Amino acid sequence: MAIEAYKHDMLRCTRCSYCKWIPWENFRNTDFIKGCPSVSRYHWHAYSAGGKFNMALSFLEGRIGYSDSFLDVVYKCHMDGSCDVSCKSVQDIEPLQLMQELRIKCVEDGQVIPAHAAVIDGLRKEDNMLGKPRSERGKWAEGLAVKDLTREKAKVLYHAGCQYSYDEELWPVVRDGLTLLKDAGVDVGIMGHAEMCCGGRAYELGYKDDLDKYAARHANIVKASGVETIVTPCAHCYQTMKVNYDKIGKKLGVEILHITEYLDRLIKEGRIKLNKKVPLKVTYHDPCHLGRLAEPWVHWDGKETKVLGQMIVHDPPKKFRRGAGGVYDIPRDIIRNIPGLSFVEMYRIRACGWCCGGGGGVKEAYPDFAIWTARERIREARAVGADAIVSACPSCKQMFQEAIKETGDDVKVLDIIELVQQSV
Amino acid sequence: MSLAEHEYRALEEVVGAEYITRDPVILDTYNQVWGNKLVFGEKFSPRPAAVLLPGSTEEAQAIVKTCNRYGIPFKPFSSGFEITALGIVSERTIMLDLKRMDRILEIDVKNMHAVVEPYVSVHKLQLEAAKYGLYYGVVAAGPSAGVIASACCHAGSGQTNCSAGAIERNVLGVEWVLPTGDVIKLGSAASGDGWFSAEGPGIGLRGVLRGHCGANGGHGIVTKASVKLYPWYGPAELERAGEIPALRAATEVPYNFRTFIVTFPIQDNAFDAMVEIGKAEIAYSCYQIPVPPGGYLGEGNDEMWAFMQQLDPKMMESPGAMVVVVLGANSDREMEYREKYFHMIREKYGGLLIPEMNNPAVQAGLFDASMFSYGSVRHVFRLTTDFFINPCGDATTTDFLKNLHKVARETMEPYWENGSILQVGSAIFHSMYENYSVGAHHEDMYLYDPFDAESLEGTNELIGKTMDTNGKFRRFGVPCLGAGLQFEPVHHTHQNWSPLYDNYDVWLRKIKAALDPNNVGDWGCYVPPVFP
Ligand SMILES: Cc1cc2nc3c(=O)[nH]c(=O)nc-3n(C[C@H](O)[C@H](O)[C@H](O)COP(=O)(O)OP(=O)(O)OC[C@H]3O[C@@H](n4cnc5c(N)ncnc54)[C@H](O)[C@@H]3O)c2cc1C
Ligand code: SF4
Ligand code: SF4
Repeated sequence: MAIEAYKHDMLRCTRCSYCKWIPWENFRNTDFIKGCPSVSRYHWHAYSAGGKFNMALSFLEGRIGYSDSFLDVVYKCHMDGSCDVSCKSVQDIEPLQLMQELRIKCVEDGQVIPAHAAVIDGLRKEDNMLGKPRSERGKWAEGLAVKDLTREKAKVLYHAGCQYSYDEELWPVVRDGLTLLKDAGVDVGIMGHAEMCCGGRAYELGYKDDLDKYAARHANIVKASGVETIVTPCAHCYQTMKVNYDKIGKKLGVEILHITEYLDRLIKEGRIKLNKKVPLKVTYHDPCHLGRLAEPWVHWDGKETKVLGQMIVHDPPKKFRRGAGGVYDIPRDIIRNIPGLSFVEMYRIRACGWCCGGGGGVKEAYPDFAIWTARERIREARAVGADAIVSACPSCKQMFQEAIKETGDDVKVLDIIELVQQSV
Repeated sequence: MSLAEHEYRALEEVVGAEYITRDPVILDTYNQVWGNKLVFGEKFSPRPAAVLLPGSTEEAQAIVKTCNRYGIPFKPFSSGFEITALGIVSERTIMLDLKRMDRILEIDVKNMHAVVEPYVSVHKLQLEAAKYGLYYGVVAAGPSAGVIASACCHAGSGQTNCSAGAIERNVLGVEWVLPTGDVIKLGSAASGDGWFSAEGPGIGLRGVLRGHCGANGGHGIVTKASVKLYPWYGPAELERAGEIPALRAATEVPYNFRTFIVTFPIQDNAFDAMVEIGKAEIAYSCYQIPVPPGGYLGEGNDEMWAFMQQLDPKMMESPGAMVVVVLGANSDREMEYREKYFHMIREKYGGLLIPEMNNPAVQAGLFDASMFSYGSVRHVFRLTTDFFINPCGDATTTDFLKNLHKVARETMEPYWENGSILQVGSAIFHSMYENYSVGAHHEDMYLYDPFDAESLEGTNELIGKTMDTNGKFRRFGVPCLGAGLQFEPVHHTHQNWSPLYDNYDVWLRKIKAALDPNNVGDWGCYVPPVFP
């Protein structure tokens, strides 16, 4: 859908500014009520979702054109969707989809920013978002004695994702994840050097064709390997395969699970036993791509119509994705089942979580803004007295680690995989 | 019309390059707000010449002084959810987005007031006040409304006006950057003795500051204000449940409160019952608002429509006159007395507690809506896109309001019937000020779609009737459209109606001229010193 398709929504954005905050019904502590990192950091209304509706309408009407500031507004945004949840608490419109289409339009018109162009160049050459050699992709798993699905068969494909494959600091986590599955007797394998990017981040930057390309390639992998399930420890890969492939009509036709979902299953089946005490006070950060953005895609092909004279409804009824269908309880269940651990919630949680700073290509293009966003989350974790902030996504872990390097905070940054590993 | 380079630089010097912009990409996000299509014929109102983000009173003052030096009109606003915030007379006007001034400076628990900056929302203050067993009166506009915007600069009515004061009367002092750039304080704050009294020691210009409808930014900038707080009988934090924010609500009405949705057979009974409830001084909140059938707004229009279709058709056809009553008390005995008294009045006027409207979920939702105004934005915008109101009565007697309501209803009905406007539930927002001791606020509301040609045409025709100086509304005073959608260069409200009402504009314009000799406070939503 092109941006024109959202003109209806642009006209109907009221400027209520709800998109700047978490939904009012979810306010708990007035120090933690902001929802949109972009407008919180850059202040101008344009940086909010409402502002982007306004900007897009102005653009469509020919009142403004592309400029550096246009791109600044479009790209200094995490695409985390907090605005979308808040807006849809009062409206039947689609701010996040408009922002996605705005990026696609920019790319189609050659209006790209150098940092993103460089990442995409790397992706097209090496099939990963870090521009690292393709041949080094499977190195993280060296010595793990796992099935290589390019040669062998297994029921489950463990897809590490670009970040885990190349960021050596994160290797212990991705290895632990695989070890947990293997030790639980799961018939699992990896693609090793033949694994490739899911295309999700490229799509988020506006490079739509790259999503198409990688969706098709993953369909081939699924077919050739014969796997029944793909499990990934990366929230973004999970969201891409589960939601975005479906959105573009390229569902893989196999079960897509985030590792937390699989671990939860194994724990419930008694195949993983959480025995050891982990004496930590932890809080849980909902990764946007596992939470609100992972709500299943809803296909709708219908038209807007009216009842009672002027009430706007849809034929057939349209189910808006309002953020409630993300994966929220499973990670919390796992954490709560770890003995010796005390769990405390932050103020902005579940569909209303604050972004880690890692999304939307901000980390790549505006690292200072990314860190600013991450620091704000660490501040919140500290405000509830947590000794450790736990997440379920490599991007979140990396961002929080970067943030505490800057601040010198000694809060522990953990992935849920690490917690489970410590407890078995 | 852009600013000259030296003018822009002078303003930039005040706030620094980071906090000023003249970039059209940014500027065009400061001229789009609901209602624009109706008033300006398109989603865009005039584009400002620049927008600034002052961070302090000193910066706001220096900006205004620069405006005086160069004859630049200016317009301040807080959350900017109104035409009155963004509607400007000239493309040379600069806007002051007060977002960076967002602190609650003080909550004086003993003396029950709070001092805030312009970007503090009503709900933020409510949550902080609740920690100390205090409450700030809600604005029907919703939780996002600025405390200062609604108390000092604009209209100011809400669901708890009966016990938590008429919002404009809650102002206990302000710090005010006059349109000349001079800074004054009103009330006891002027004498340096604290922010506890609006009338002094020190000058008490509360009436001049805002009049009744508010100067809507035409009188300079309010940079701090002290507002009255009232007792809160609930917990500091309410238990809420619901994953989808639109459906999230208090799990129950807190112990020291009761909520009732009373359906009266006819509207006059509702009015009379509310007057008695006011006289009895028993309600925390008592008002009428368009409660949807079954009390359910749903997560979206499709869900709401599905719900409505399975309701008893009688509820849709004759919703009756619904009044929401919230009782609050400090003790069980006090509550017992209040409840008894309330039911006596309810029964006297034939008020029913229809079970569908009084199940615990609806009551808890209505409690939230009454205390915090969640849902008002959902209701008035999601359903059709925009809302509007007939000329409202304010701070006036019940007989007057009864008559006004009858005329409003007669005028609206044909448009309702031909489908150009919509109301789901009754169409009334009626809220008593301080137990009716200073009258009540009354609106007859409707919803319309400005992007639907028929709806827009019908709405315009309806508004034409209500604004006609020789029409049926002539005897009800100057048509105040909630002060919200009134743009003088388009509506000519003051210009046309003042001759019918004692030429009140002469005083209004004299005050404007005295406060703003260089006419730099943008007058679009107020009054010019001289009509163009
Ligand atoms: C759905 C809806 C329902 C409403 N219902 C009601 C109602 O029942 N009762 C009622 O009273 N109002 C109502 N209003 C109007 C509402 O009171 C105002 O919209 C409210 O004050 C908005 O707060 P804001 O922070 O968005 O103000 P803004 O829109 O930012 O400002 C409102 C006006 O005040 C001026 N202003 C703001 N801050 C300052 C300042 N610091 N110094 C000088 N001038 C300033 C602005 O120029 C503008 O003219 C309603 C509005 C909406 C959208
Ligand atoms: S995008 Fe949605 S929440 Fe934001 S201003 Fe527009 S209508 Fe309001
Ligand atoms: S996606 Fe995130 S950063 Fe971007 S506008 Fe929405 S809330 Fe703000």
